[in-house]
This record gives sequence, C-alpha cells and structure tokens, in this order.
Amino acid sequence: MDMSFTPEETAFRDEIRAFLKAELDPALARKVRLHHDLTKAEMEGWHAKLQSRGWLAGNWPKEFGGAGWTAIQRHIFEEESARAHAPRIVPFGIAMLGPVLQKFGSKEQQDHWLPRILNGDDWWCQGYSEPGAGSDLAGLRCEARRDGDHYVVNGQKTWTTLGQHANMIFCLVRTSTEGKKQEGISFLLIDMETPGVTVRPIVLLDGAAEVNEVWFDNVRVPAANLVGTENEGWTYAKYLLTHERTNIAGVGFATAALDNLKRVARAQIHRGKPLSEDPAFAADMASVEIELMAMSTTNLRMLSAAAQGQAPGIESSMLKIKGTQIRQRLDALTRRAYGGQAMALPQGGNEGPEDADEALAATATWLNNRKLSIYGGSNEIQRSIIAGAMAKG
Amino acid sequence: MDFQLSDDHRMLQDSLRGVLARHSGDGLAPALAELGIPEALLTEAEGGFDGSGAAVALIFEELGRAGAPSTPVAAMIGAAALAQAGHDAAVLAFADAEPGTRHDRGVAMRAEGECLTGRKTMVIGAEGAQGFLVTTADALWRVDRDAEGVEFRPYPLMDDQPGGDLILCDAPATRLGALSGHDGVLARAVLAHAAYGLGVITAAFDLTLDYLRQRKQFGQPLIAFQALAHRMADLAVEVEQARSAVVNLSGHLDAEPALRDRHLQACKVTVGRAARLLAEESVQLHGGIGMTEEYALGGIIRRLIAADTAMGDADYHLERFALAEPAFA
Ligand SMILES: Cc1cc2nc3c(=O)[nH]c(=O)nc-3n(C[C@H](O)[C@H](O)[C@H](O)COP(=O)(O)OP(=O)(O)OC[C@H]3O[C@@H](n4cnc5c(N)ncnc54)[C@H](O)[C@@H]3O)c2cc1C
Repeated sequence: MDMSFTPEETAFRDEIRAFLKAELDPALARKVRLHHDLTKAEMEGWHAKLQSRGWLAGNWPKEFGGAGWTAIQRHIFEEESARAHAPRIVPFGIAMLGPVLQKFGSKEQQDHWLPRILNGDDWWCQGYSEPGAGSDLAGLRCEARRDGDHYVVNGQKTWTTLGQHANMIFCLVRTSTEGKKQEGISFLLIDMETPGVTVRPIVLLDGAAEVNEVWFDNVRVPAANLVGTENEGWTYAKYLLTHERTNIAGVGFATAALDNLKRVARAQIHRGKPLSEDPAFAADMASVEIELMAMSTTNLRMLSAAAQGQAPGIESSMLKIKGTQIRQRLDALTRRAYGGQAMALPQGGNEGPEDADEALAATATWLNNRKLSIYGGSNEIQRSIIAGAMAKG
Repeated sequence: MDFQLSDDHRMLQDSLRGVLARHSGDGLAPALAELGIPEALLTEAEGGFDGSGAAVALIFEELGRAGAPSTPVAAMIGAAALAQAGHDAAVLAFADAEPGTRHDRGVAMRAEGECLTGRKTMVIGAEGAQGFLVTTADALWRVDRDAEGVEFRPYPLMDDQPGGDLILCDAPATRLGALSGHDGVLARAVLAHAAYGLGVITAAFDLTLDYLRQRKQFGQPLIAFQALAHRMADLAVEVEQARSAVVNLSGHLDAEPALRDRHLQACKVTVGRAARLLAEESVQLHGGIGMTEEYALGGIIRRLIAADTAMGDADYHLERFALAEPAFA
C-alpha cells in the first residue's frame, strides 16, 4: 500500500496552488466563500482564465481540447479550487454534455458544439426534471414530435439550474409512448432563443436565484440537434449521470467548509473564550472532521480503483450520501456557531447588513445546501441503489 | 392528572383560531388586540388578566401553527418587565443577541453609569416599538427610541419579522433591575417561543404528511414507500416529545426558580432539536418543491429555525442544563 501522492502529483498540486494565488481575485473568492450569487460575467471570466491555461475541461481528453487529467489530478484540482474558494466550474457543458457528445454525438455535433463550450460561446443548462417527473425521471412527458426535418417540442421542464444565463439546453424529451417508459425518450439540444421558449425564475428559501422553470410552446428544433438515435436517450442520460456524479463526494467543498467553521469558531466568543475552546463545540467539530478524514480516503480508494479500470458501482452512491451528510453537518455547525446572530438572511440572495455578512451567509448556506441531498438523484434514491445491489448479491 | 384545557382557555383557543383563520398581515395585530391577547399574556400585577403558562402556551402554539409572526412576544416581555420595575407599560423590542458571540452578554454592549454603549443585533419586533429592552452582562435596561446616541438599522429577520441592529453610543438608559430579578418574565418569553416553535413544528409535520399522501412518483403516493413512512413515524414521535416538553414548562412556570429553569432548558432543547430535525426532514421529504419560496413550506422552515434561535437555542440551554446554571444569569 502506498498512500502518498507521486512527486508528479505533488508538483501538479503546487502548480494549481500557484495559479489560484496569482489569478483568483480575493473579492471574488470572498463572494464564493459567503455563498453569494455570482454574476454571469464572473463565472464566464473564471472559465476564460482556466481555459487560457487549458484547464477548463480537466475531464476531457486532449483530442477534444481538454486537459486529459487523470482522476487523481482532477481530484487535486477540485480540492485546491474549493479550498481557495474559486468559483465552481459550471458543470452543464463541461462535466455533463461534453462527455455525452464525445461518446454518442456525431462528428458534426462534436466539431460544432465542443469548441463552443470551451470558448464560452454557449452556456448550457440541463432539462431533465419536470413537475411530475423528479425521482421518477423516466415518467417525463415533455414531447417532441417529428415534423419533416424538425422536431416540434411542447411541455415543461423545471429546476433548471442557471437557466436564466443559458442560451442552450439539453433535454430529455418523449418521442414515443409505446413500450416501457424508458424506451421512448430522446436526447435533444435546444436553442433557448427559439420562439416559444419561456424561462421563469424560481426563488429558493435563501433568496438565491439559481433555478428556473422552462416552457416549450411549439418550439421548432432542427432534427440535426438529436444526439444519437431516436428513443435511445435514456442510455445517454444514464451515461451523463455517471459523469454528474464524479466529484460527488465534494471533499474539497467539505474541507473548505471545515476550514471556514474553524475560523468562525476561533473568532466567536463563548463564555469569555473562543468558541473553538468550548469542549462540547470542539467535540462536535472534531466528530465531523473525523468523518471527513475517512470519507476523503474512501474517495481516494475509489478513484484509485477506477484508475485501475474497475467500473464504479454503488461506491458513487455511498460517496453521495456521506459527502452530502458531512457538508450539511458542517453547515449546521457553522450556523450554530453564530447562535442568536443567525436570525436574518442576506437580502435578495446577496449582501446584507455590512458587518453581519458572515452570520447571514451561514444561515443562507445552511438553507441552500439542503439541495445537496435532493438533486442529482436524492439520498433516498442512492440508498435504494445500494440496497438493490446488495439484495442481488 | 388532567391535561385538558380549562373552559376559559378552550374558549380563548376557539376565538383565537377564528381570528387567525380570518386575519393575516397588517390586520392581524389589531384583531389580536381586540381579542385581548396582549393582556392574556400578562398577569394582573402586570396589567393583564391571565399570564399563566397554559394561556401563554396555547396562544403561541396557535400563532405558530397559523404562520403568524411571533412579534407579540416582544411586546409581552417589555410590558411585563416594565410593570415589575414599577413603570408604565410600553411596547419595547427585546435587544439581547450581540455580534461576535454565540450567547454571551456584555461583550458588545456595556453600561457606564446610566449610559449604554455598544451593539445589539437581530433585535426582534422593533417596528412600532417605543424603545428597547436591552440586556447587559447582568442587568436589564430600557432605552427610548428617540434618545440621544441611539441608532437603529432595520432589516427583516429570516422569518420575515421586522428586526435590525441597535447601536448605542453613550445613550441614556433606565436600569430596570438585575437580569435575575426578571427571570420570571424571561421564562414566560421562553415558553412563548417554545410553544410558538411547537405550533410551527406541527404545521411542518402536517404539511409534509399531506404532501406525501398526494405526491406520486413511480405510480404510487410517496407515503407508500416504507423508507419515507418510517421517517414520518419517527417525526411523529418527536412532535409528541416537543409537546410534552412545552406542557412540562407551562406547568412549572411558577415553580421555584431552579426547578422551573430545568424545565425551561429541557423544553427549549427538546423543541429546538425537534425544530431543526423537522426543518431538515420536511425539506428532504418534499424534494425540490420544499426549497422554494413560493410553496408554503419555505416560510415554515425559516420560522422553525428562528424559533430555535430566539431566546437561546438548543445548544445554549443544553449547556446550562448540564452545568445546572440558571437560565438567564
Ligand atoms: C437546487 C436544485 C437544482 C436542481 N437542478 C436541476 C437541473 O439543473 N436540471 C434538472 O433537470 N433537474 C434539477 N434539479 C431537480 C432534481 O434532480 C430533483 O429535485 C430530484 O430528482 C428530486 O425530484 P423531486 O424534487 O421531484 O422530488 P420527488 O421525486 O417528488 O421526491 C420527494 C421525496 O421523496 C423521496 N422519494 C421519491 N421516490 C422515492 C422512492 N421510490 N423511495 C424512497 N424515497 C423516494 C425523495 O428522495 C424525496 O425525499 C434540481 C433540484 C434542486 C433542488
């Protein structure tokens, strides 16, 4: 057994750190740390900086313009970025659609769309969920009817993250109602500027403006925008989800949240001393840290197994559950560290009363991160996956 | 043993439910006043007509369940504290929490002679108040709103009540007495918040159960999935625990201080933890819809958290219980 990083990996980490130190604007990092909504320009600006180093698409092979990093390198990059409070790379184009097009898209689709993802010409969002189709995604009804060399799309999508900034949406649409409900689904790329597309924002509990409803009213989509084969969309959707679930443990985000919690606990006064010296609170912090230490290694063990060619199975479900539990516990402790100061929220998802910013951010983050155990396949669905695999033996 | 409400209290509950069903927003406060709710929260000596634990608990549970603001508690504490100190009643906002500390008092607000300097944060119920009831390390003070050296920066609290930061710079203040001399008043306010929390907890539970019965996925209502049904069963147990904790405190509100404080702390811990649990679980069980502002659960979640946080959260009271310290020394 060898638990150390190779010299190359360590050098890689140093390189990432140096880049973050030089390129990440502290004001932007502060916004990320306080969980404020970022502007489109801020997100695009960060993408452009990464792309200028060839680091935007760490997960893409070099032939498509990606960095071609190993799973361990990606892990290092994500951990360092999160600890430095760099903006998260918006996942829809890079982490989700890119791999699907690379595996199932036509040559024309690859040549057209992939460079546009990297250079920022397109902003993608994900149109999977519908009001009636959440956990039961295959129950989706948004329909696409073939009409000559177009599809005509009618229906609704919801929970579309950052759809307000997007000009393109990849959708699962129903192209057939015959047979099993998984069988009549297709994977379609839709230009959101086409007549008949309407986007309406949904405000979340903390005031954040990150999700939307999207309606399609007789929207005409060129048939060339169908990925792969008609009615085979479910296969591509599942492939995409395995990519959505990379970095699922969120070790970097948890580590950043733990650093932040410790900083807060050192600054808060409790019984005349720093809260970090309070035995009960320190024990609570320690117990999450201990969980994180184990999960971090679970994560590396699974990355290393994947690097040796073993396909990830229920492990990613385990990491999703544990990773989100740890982050939510950290968020709860950070909020509790503020006690009576945590009674308000930043106004409109952004800055609140000047010097109460940090306490307000703690409450908002706690509220907002309830989503971690709901989206991308809820924790209950992950438990069913684990249990189902165990039952089969 | 008899845990039933008295006839008077049952009548009060009925009329209160009626008012809460008919009024909300700006119309609510006058309707509550007309019903005599503020006076029902005070003893005769304080200028009211009841003030018993049972009355306070039933009133605030109904307010919490109906989604009404908990602001009357601020008026109640102020009026009772003034009456105890021999002053005329006035509406005072309770200014207790301080920046930079989880629960300590007197870190950011200090007294020098008859003047206060420092800062209070998350002041509840400031809108329409004539002044503030301010805590320092061991005393309770009255500060008038338009006195010199008083600055108030308003902002809404997370449960949508008007709140804000109070900044005092050598502001003249009237000392109402030692904090420990007003512990009975503060205990009643804690009961009010705990009962309010219980009402919100019940609302969260009912709404979630309703949703699980209606929402279908995979061709079945969600409540048909045993994994979810068992979690609802666990939550039902915690709701009953919270109810009993509120009953314990309301029945011991006038007990000797050490015994009362044990029940007070146990109550706030039990209710606070149940509130946190219900907040987490009801969002999770609802899925995405539970996280939205426009669905009814949104406001409930924030009120749950606020009910735990106000007047010392579960952590604060757990620590005091463990160390057998008075609730408000
Ligand atoms: C902030 C946020 C961002 C999102 N972003 C996107 C996006 O960009 N694009 C997109 O397409 N979707 C997105 N989603 C949608 C997300 O994937 C769904 O919310 C999720 O799949 C759950 O579906 P639901 O909300 O309809 O809940 P439901 O499926 O109704 O589930 C409600 C509850 O029941 C549980 N449950 C359901 N079925 C079972 C069962 N069989 N056994 C046990 N428990 C069960 C669930 O775990 C949950 O606790 C987002 C969601 C959120 C909250």
